[in-house]
Amino acid sequence: MMSSLTATERSRAFMITMTVLLGGLVMAAVGHGDPIGMQGWVVILFTAVVGVVLLKSFDAPDPVEDRSASYYDDPTRVGIIIALIWAVIGMGVGLWVASMLAWPNLRFDAAWSSFGRVRPVHTSGVIFGFGGNALIATSFHIMQRTSRARMPNQVLPWFVLIGFNLFCVIAASGYLMGITQSKEYAEPEWYADLWLVVVWVAYFILYMRTLARRNEPHIYVANWYYLAFILVVAVLHIVNNLAIPASLTGAKSYSAFAGVQDAMTQWWYGHNAVAFFLTSGFLGMLYYFLPKRAGRPIYSYRLSILSFWGIVFFYIWAGSHHLHYTALPHWVQTLGMTFSVMLLVPSWASAGNALMTLNGAWHKVRDDATLRFMMVAAVFYGLSTFEGSFMAIRPVNGLSHYTDWTVGHVHAGAMGWVALISFGSIYALTPVLWRREAMYSWKAVELHFWLALSGTVIYVFAMWNSGIIQGLMWRTYGETGTLKYSFLESMIAMHPYYVARALGGLLFLAGACVGLWNVLMTVRHMPRHAPERDYPTSSEATEPAVPAAE
Amino acid sequence: MSILSLLIPVTLVMGLVGLASFFWSLRNGQYEDLEGDAERILYDEDDRPLPSRTYKSPKEPTP
Amino acid sequence: MTLVDGDAAEQLMSPLQQGAARRSLRTARDGGAICLLSVPDIRCGGCVSKIERALNARDDVASARVNLSLKRVQITPSGSRADPALFIAALDRLGFAASAADDATATPDPTGNGLLRATAVAGFGAMNIMLLSVAVWSGALGTTRDAFHLLSAMIAVPVVLYAGQPFFSSAWSALRVRRVNMDVPITLAVLLATVLSLAELLQGGEQLFFDAAVTLLFFLLGGRYLDQMMRERASSAINGLARLAPSGAMVRRPDGALAYVELEEVKPGDRLVVSAGEYVPVDAQVSEGSTDLDRSLITGEPLPVLASPGDMIEAGTLNLTGSVEAVALRPAAESFLAQMIRMQSEAERNRGTYERIANRAARLYAPVVHLMALLTFLSWLWTTDGDWQQALFVAISVLIITCPCALGLAVPVAHVVAAGRLMRMGVLMKDGAGIERLANIDAAVFDKTGTLTTGRPRLEPVIADVADLSAARGLAIRSSHPAAKAIAADLVAEPAAVVEQVQEVPGYGIEGRIDGRRARLGRGDWVAEIAGEPASSPTDPAFAFAGGAPIGFEVTETLRDGVHDTFDAFSRGGLDLVILSGDSRERVMHLSHDLVLTDICAGMKPADKVSYLENMRHEGRRPLMVGDGLNDAGALAAAHVSMAPSSASDAGRTAADFVFLRKGLDAVAATHRVACRTAAVVRQNFTLAICYNCIAIPLAVAGLVTPLIAALAMSASSILVIGNSLRLSASPEKLRHGTRRRRLKKAAT
Repeated sequence: MMSSLTATERSRAFMITMTVLLGGLVMAAVGHGDPIGMQGWVVILFTAVVGVVLLKSFDAPDPVEDRSASYYDDPTRVGIIIALIWAVIGMGVGLWVASMLAWPNLRFDAAWSSFGRVRPVHTSGVIFGFGGNALIATSFHIMQRTSRARMPNQVLPWFVLIGFNLFCVIAASGYLMGITQSKEYAEPEWYADLWLVVVWVAYFILYMRTLARRNEPHIYVANWYYLAFILVVAVLHIVNNLAIPASLTGAKSYSAFAGVQDAMTQWWYGHNAVAFFLTSGFLGMLYYFLPKRAGRPIYSYRLSILSFWGIVFFYIWAGSHHLHYTALPHWVQTLGMTFSVMLLVPSWASAGNALMTLNGAWHKVRDDATLRFMMVAAVFYGLSTFEGSFMAIRPVNGLSHYTDWTVGHVHAGAMGWVALISFGSIYALTPVLWRREAMYSWKAVELHFWLALSGTVIYVFAMWNSGIIQGLMWRTYGETGTLKYSFLESMIAMHPYYVARALGGLLFLAGACVGLWNVLMTVRHMPRHAPERDYPTSSEATEPAVPAAE
Repeated sequence: MSILSLLIPVTLVMGLVGLASFFWSLRNGQYEDLEGDAERILYDEDDRPLPSRTYKSPKEPTP
Repeated sequence: MTLVDGDAAEQLMSPLQQGAARRSLRTARDGGAICLLSVPDIRCGGCVSKIERALNARDDVASARVNLSLKRVQITPSGSRADPALFIAALDRLGFAASAADDATATPDPTGNGLLRATAVAGFGAMNIMLLSVAVWSGALGTTRDAFHLLSAMIAVPVVLYAGQPFFSSAWSALRVRRVNMDVPITLAVLLATVLSLAELLQGGEQLFFDAAVTLLFFLLGGRYLDQMMRERASSAINGLARLAPSGAMVRRPDGALAYVELEEVKPGDRLVVSAGEYVPVDAQVSEGSTDLDRSLITGEPLPVLASPGDMIEAGTLNLTGSVEAVALRPAAESFLAQMIRMQSEAERNRGTYERIANRAARLYAPVVHLMALLTFLSWLWTTDGDWQQALFVAISVLIITCPCALGLAVPVAHVVAAGRLMRMGVLMKDGAGIERLANIDAAVFDKTGTLTTGRPRLEPVIADVADLSAARGLAIRSSHPAAKAIAADLVAEPAAVVEQVQEVPGYGIEGRIDGRRARLGRGDWVAEIAGEPASSPTDPAFAFAGGAPIGFEVTETLRDGVHDTFDAFSRGGLDLVILSGDSRERVMHLSHDLVLTDICAGMKPADKVSYLENMRHEGRRPLMVGDGLNDAGALAAAHVSMAPSSASDAGRTAADFVFLRKGLDAVAATHRVACRTAAVVRQNFTLAICYNCIAIPLAVAGLVTPLIAALAMSASSILVIGNSLRLSASPEKLRHGTRRRRLKKAAT
């Protein structure tokens, strides 16, 4: 794999790795005695592994292939595998924390294994580890295919992919050490945030340079969704993580904003992360892989462009609905509520567009589990955006907020939409990337589909029930005007649902494991496959391809 | 809500970037053949980059 | 279109076609050359990729790109000398007929892009101002509110100035000629709302209407852009139909060489060569050779006529059988074709200006509203003892709330939805005025040849010896005469494979040797010359072997599908039905014997048709004209509203308000039904807008309208109008000939 780099590229990659390793050394040295020192060792270990992989084929001969005649797919391949590994890790940890809630003994009483430390490993693991790597890998694929051009550089994509995973590893290991800035989905501390900015700028440059080299004049709509994802996430990340380190030799930092201002920034970031990380990028995936797999163009291309601009403009101000009934001024809450409700229009336009694309190809959906993954993802996208708009209405939020309903909503989106569209895309992509005839086992894909769907449904229904029961119990008053139920009573009422949730998570995790196995087996054991040509070769060119019309 | 004096300008600038890119895409003729562009992605079975080509557009008639 | 092997295609193209191909060359922005070809048969991404691969693989092509929406190929040739004829031949080999693209479709319409830009700016402004307004409405107070107001103003003013331009300029040009159109109240409302809000802002007021002004612009621009897009799509679809008129002529130079000459450069006295299958470029007199001419587009006669030396041939007639040389009589600008086009534009002028419903509504609406605002201002001034600021505020809120928005959208949205609906039915609508006029017709006038009939004659069944029939068909497939084509298509017999010494005698028929025997197919008396038993002169056309018994064929015109349905529907609707034909009376009578008609006029010249329609209009009638030929172009323009089939002449398609791509004539009745429903929806939209105003105006006059109410009411009424219009596409028109739709699709492929 590394042998497809030229010697210059290999040495450049090695230089970069060593520079980062040096940075890790500095962290380890100056941060001795502080968690940042431990994080330095994590960096050293990670870069050392990368360095060893590089060195193993450092003296291999230069590649002779004609680079202009093929796409650069190695980073995509590695990204897909990494994404699936993160899926298993993230979902496994998720299963653990879910079980911990049902059976508290699974807490094991260690500091690192406390719920507060393990839960962000789950959220970051699935969102950034699985989702982020899937986004990066598919974007590498889509930007090259739709531009009909190869990436401009061979080191930059590796830098983006490996650099992003370094961020994920720093983040996850940091959580277990107790390092967090206590912002949901933005827990990593300042040094990790700075590193992510560097990686993200490189990602943006790579994307723009590929588009600039494109041999197809039109920029396909999926690229717009990916670009919005990259650009807006960069801005959000920078603004929300504006913080002043307590000391340059320590991990701890203090946010630049205080109190409710900080909360507002956090949810401006948090909800836009949902919009631009978990929606925009995955819609890009949907708009490419769904038509490809179904073999028919998107139902309304015009609508896909319109809903792009709709989502870009409506999402930005929806975030304050996370802060209903808080110290946030009432009008800011109302603002968030209004925009959340309006957001339903472009969201449903996208979901409807996806489903209408399949209208007339239902037999393919019936037969092809990969396409079914995408179809169900679009359905869940429509469902969870409707639910989101509904829950953003202040009185509804009064019932749902701080209950498991919120957890159920997030997972309807994360499992039903994000994960299913990613799995569908990965199944569509794997045979193309490794030039295999098909997946190793279509039965395994089918099994994965049903595991994932049943897991999601069990999970979401359990959380809907427990959330509403919880919300109602919390607001039930006795005749004397006191609360009727104690908190513990509501916890006991939750127990069967928490068990059901763990079961749903287990099924979903099992599906992900089957998926990883299937992809690895496809890579190893499926015969190579020469791509079919749908255009006349030179010998056919002179023959009539279309019967003469009258 | 003093924080909005940061968030609103940031959002406005992002919106303007969006508007500018829309203007660029319009000038660049990105929306001239939406039907065809939706279909094009389906036809790349040989799965390799195209050779680079120059595309010209006709001069607008002088009124 | 036939497919031939390899390089033969280049040789097959006549010099005329090669010359015409050169018209596809355009100058690119950088001064180089590009070639634009119209390829109507492109249907899907598969065609796109096939064409692009094939063309891009050529050495003389730097890049080729297909536009699927416009069905057009754009080629950048490599090297300075490119021959578009080679590209056309290459496309022909792939199975796609291509011709030089029309100028009209060469560049995207700048108006549409301008409107889209304005819509985008208004949308951006509306979104951000709405954000700030929602914040203020939900209770942002004090300095926050003032800051938000200031920010709104900073966004709104440039947005209004930029995005409002289409309305401002249209209102200004109407006012300059002392007329009122819908854009006058819109402009007034937008400008006043902006100016008032600015004034309020300076005084730290609480009530600003920036959001109303910008949202209003956004909705209206959206409607206007859709309207523009609809027209652009229809016109590009019409331009995409193959052009029939010749673009140049082959001229024989004094030294005997043939040269391609652009149509405009043909001079009287030039010797023209017109080969079989070509259109006659200018009016000319035949000097050598003879041929059959299809004059159906000119005169409406369905059967060809013979032209021999000394005969006049008119520009636009189709040469069917032989090659002739002719001397040009007039330059192209004075040809019969040009006269027809002049007659058409004259008729269009006489048609008078039709005032669109929206403008009629505006004529009524604008004074009422403006007067009401003035009265409100005065009465508030009086009741508040001269508080002119308060009075002005209320007066302006009356202007804003009376919602030119719903009124401005009432018509275009309904028309856009109807146009989309018609397009799905295979009917192209050129602009909204046509559908308004179609809804209130009281008579329908039809041309015969090519309109009521298919233009392809049909063979009545014959009983004869199989060998004779097979020989007849063998001859027939070698001729392009319409009667021969009918025999070739409809005769059930294996055509004779070997026919030797084939000779087509223009005006008479085709002759050849089959199995060593002479055989003729053609005019009855000509066939009888060689037939063995000349007992009686057989009917036209006939076939006989030398010495054999002649067989008569009966070739009749066929009615289009759906003629009866359309006539039934129209006569049930109480419309007068008229046939105007250039053909002979008996043929018209024969064809229309079972149709209920008010009037039949045969032997009509183009000018007669025009004056017939003009008479009708002088009597206050509103006739629909359906016609296809060049001879109908004037009549199409003179009628209240007009339709043409896609097979019509270029001039006919230009003159008609609607062009239908379907084979059946039931498209006419279906379009009429859609037009009536559209008119009903437009009326409902106006009623909705008026009802809304009846509620909103008292509130506004009473001074109870806040910006929040204004914005909500405006959006609600717009959405209501849009929703009502969408009903037009919701219930699909039941096509009486369900299968025909599929057949149409097949025919289109």
